[in-house]
Amino acid sequence: MIIPVEVAINERSGRKLPPSFAQFGTDEIVLVDLQGVLDVEGEMKGQFVGKLSVDDETVSMTFASRTRRTTTYRAEQKKPSLLIGHHLLEGKLVNLPKPLAIMHRVPPEPTEDDPSGLDDDSPTSTSAPPTWKIVAVVKRKMVFAKRPMPMVGKPSSTVTSGKS
Amino acid sequence: MPDFSLKFTQTPTTDAGTFKLLELPADLCKLIESSLDTPPSLVIKGDSNEHAVLCTADKTYTVRSVVLSNSILTVTPPRAGEFEHGSSDDLVIRDQIHEVLELVPCLPKLDKLGGLLRGREYDEGRDDEEDMDEDMDDGRPTKRRKLTYEDARAMLQASDVELENGLKTRRVLTLRGELRPIAPSHLTTILELLLNYLVSLSLSHEAAPIEDLAAALEEDHEIRREVSRQVMAWFGETKGGLWTMDTSATVREVGIGIMRAYKNDPIAEDEFLKKWRATVGDKFESVVDLNLLSGNYLSSPSQFIEPPVPLLTYFPASALPVDPAQRFGDLFLTRPRWKAEDIAPFLTDIAFDHKERDRLLLKFARAVTDSEGVWYTARAKYNS
Repeated sequence: MIIPVEVAINERSGRKLPPSFAQFGTDEIVLVDLQGVLDVEGEMKGQFVGKLSVDDETVSMTFASRTRRTTTYRAEQKKPSLLIGHHLLEGKLVNLPKPLAIMHRVPPEPTEDDPSGLDDDSPTSTSAPPTWKIVAVVKRKMVFAKRPMPMVGKPSSTVTSGKS
Repeated sequence: MPDFSLKFTQTPTTDAGTFKLLELPADLCKLIESSLDTPPSLVIKGDSNEHAVLCTADKTYTVRSVVLSNSILTVTPPRAGEFEHGSSDDLVIRDQIHEVLELVPCLPKLDKLGGLLRGREYDEGRDDEEDMDEDMDDGRPTKRRKLTYEDARAMLQASDVELENGLKTRRVLTLRGELRPIAPSHLTTILELLLNYLVSLSLSHEAAPIEDLAAALEEDHEIRREVSRQVMAWFGETKGGLWTMDTSATVREVGIGIMRAYKNDPIAEDEFLKKWRATVGDKFESVVDLNLLSGNYLSSPSQFIEPPVPLLTYFPASALPVDPAQRFGDLFLTRPRWKAEDIAPFLTDIAFDHKERDRLLLKFARAVTDSEGVWYTARAKYNS
């Protein structure tokens, strides 16, 4: 069996992510790494998950070097945070040790006006083998690795972040 | 501080499982990123009972799935009209991923080719019509279906370049789209004829017109042009209608052809060399060297003739088992003890380098040193 994998990283769907979010991946797709899984009760379709914010302020980092001189440099890194229900997650930008290609399964006959093949709504025939497209190569991801902090205030959704 | 609302996709059932992450080795990443205008062709190959491999034009990688305990969300902008009261700050989770596919470079898996090509040998005087008659026998379903290049490409886990090299080194012809390994004796005949015609037509072996040679072989010996042309391409370079012969490869193959007859009855070394020289002709006589055939023969002193002369027997390394333990078993069945320089040629195709060969010898053989040098004997019984 042969499954063709098409490289389509310069195809554009024409819809872009906001720049402050796109800096964590590419301008059309971003990988968000969560500990555990998103556990959904009830209907998942179109459900609001949480509020994601990206802190605009650049973080200053201070290092004590071997020469006992203290150097401060301004990292361009911005801090993301995710509020799911009563839980606040703090994240960071992580550069991947090896780049990841994001492959997307394309329905056998993608429509002309949607070259990225992201539109899966059209009925797909099961007879033809699926084609996979490499839609992007990413070198960084947004990681939420810390334990969530409980927040007092109004809940933002019915979805809870559970640890698997 | 920009805020975004993270939402699930409107079409969770169709979006789920449509994304996969592929970890790219540095060379593959370069290949993908450097050729934006002419995207490289990548394919995933494999039967349901095999490990999948990913092939580029000239390399093969095994695909390994690594399960993650974290979930990776693929987040994209919303599609046109996906949300009724959508804003530009909406982000959509398309899929949750729990595995990454790792790629590890590997050798092409061509050993299946031998089995696929069994019984399809192309020999002199056997026509395709005959094959068809065989197939129609007793109205049984056709046992032998044609194996085309495309079939082999679909079945074998190798990239195109690796597959073509594999077909070349296994001496497989493509005739009317069908893959047919050439019969070794027929190959020798063609090579001998080519050497003769180079001389009789007074052509240079560094630039011989392919058309002239192919025409001569077809007219005088009924060897199809497509066959002789492919044979010429195996033993040299064909460029602009001219053939540059790889002399040592051709002479070697002719030597193996002569040697093949002496599988059971040995031939004296002098007699063999004389025969070999005569076959290749005056022009290429100087290339003849027994070292060219290393790994294809055994030499042993005769017991009945005085003074003893070395006798040669055909013994090809390619017919020995690939598994090291079995190979040593076979070798020690053939001879109870081997000299280091005698056994080495039969290990080159299973050992990557000298280090690997010495490691195998250490593991499977026992070294004994006497006045004649180092001898290797069996360490234990391997043929059980």
